[in-house]
Amino acid sequence: MTCDEHHCITCGDDGVPMRVLRVDAGRALALCEDEAGAHSSVEIALVDPVAVGDTLLVHAGTALTRLEGAAA
Amino acid sequence: MKFVDEFRDADFGRTLAAEILATVGPGHHYKLMEVCGGHTHSIYKYGIDDLLPENVELVHGPGCPVCVIPMGRVDDAIAVAHEPGVIFTCFGDMMRVPGSNGTLLEAKARGADVRMVYSPLDALRIAKQHPDREVVFFAIGFETTAPSTALTLRRARAEGVGNFSCFCNHVTIVPPLRALLDSPDLRLDGFIGPGHVSTVVGARPLEFIPADYGKPVVVSGFEPVDILQSVLMLLRQLADGRCEVENQYRRVVPYEGNLKALEVMAEVFELRPHFEWRGLGFISQSGLKLSEAYAELDAELRFAVPGVRVADPKACQCGEVLKGVIKPWECKVFGTACTPERPIGTCMVSSEGACAAYYNYGRFARERELV
Repeated sequence: MTCDEHHCITCGDDGVPMRVLRVDAGRALALCEDEAGAHSSVEIALVDPVAVGDTLLVHAGTALTRLEGAAA
Repeated sequence: MKFVDEFRDADFGRTLAAEILATVGPGHHYKLMEVCGGHTHSIYKYGIDDLLPENVELVHGPGCPVCVIPMGRVDDAIAVAHEPGVIFTCFGDMMRVPGSNGTLLEAKARGADVRMVYSPLDALRIAKQHPDREVVFFAIGFETTAPSTALTLRRARAEGVGNFSCFCNHVTIVPPLRALLDSPDLRLDGFIGPGHVSTVVGARPLEFIPADYGKPVVVSGFEPVDILQSVLMLLRQLADGRCEVENQYRRVVPYEGNLKALEVMAEVFELRPHFEWRGLGFISQSGLKLSEAYAELDAELRFAVPGVRVADPKACQCGEVLKGVIKPWECKVFGTACTPERPIGTCMVSSEGACAAYYNYGRFARERELV
């Protein structure tokens, strides 16, 4: 999770963009890295299939969507 | 980082602010509600309200999952945490929410084994590491965190982790919005719609707002440029006499939502007939509990939960803040008896709470203004 000045203790309801480093498709888990470089296991069952290098939006340890393109 | 930096661009922000100024009609006061606590946090963190014209007012909504938990549920959580052999897990913010007899953090100081986790998956991992203990996860949140809890419960059942259970306090966003719109003491012109909730449920469930209440909605992202653009889109709808659900956050929110998430939620949860919200009272069909298929993982059935209703402290005006009737600094105890270090009300606890966000980022600006 991102730890900025006032956001370290999170309620978990904070969408964090994370990059996929490794995928364990069998267990529907991926090892991901956030902006600050922290690693965590992320549920990927809702956004399957996921490839290394994808950016995911993660809420409470679960990827809700894949971030694609950059247009607002 | 990609998907972050471009949405914090100061020049683009200033351009949007100038367009907003050019769009507002003179002699009209616009009241726009940001539903989601994440938006409230961003608005104060980046000073977005300072970029808006004086006649555009942002009203903070009920979308902070910590802030809406009533005191009675905190007392229930503490009672479960004190059960022999229990490891009670919850998100960090929830540990500091006061019940009628202290917080979970104070329960930990009195000997209960309360641990902070970042996800329900972390809680399940603790359960696997301690097969001789009962591990309970305090599940809170809207449709953003509910899929995470649902997937973890499905995983717990599939892996046969019998010492794991869930104290479910998940809520849904549409019923409180309807309650707010039905409330006579609140006049709003439009809604900045919840971005990440809509990622899960889609934008369609918000269509009742323009259809039944005649108010425009723009589903918005959380970066400063997102919020400014959403304000502009709302003001343009009002200027053009349009009234619809627009999606500013298309890079993340599909209009139909995430069908896999909705499917797992439907499998694991069912609606409670009613659920109590802090400051808003009981709202029918607004809370989730575990479905019959998952009853064996329901902490409310596994442990004795007192379930006593507790009135909010008299001095605290979180209810009015959550309904957008008063601003945080208009509460009598804001910044004096109630601070993030020693909160009285929930809005001062969570980083997404309007009071904490204003205390952390805007308190001194307000003081300067008053001088």
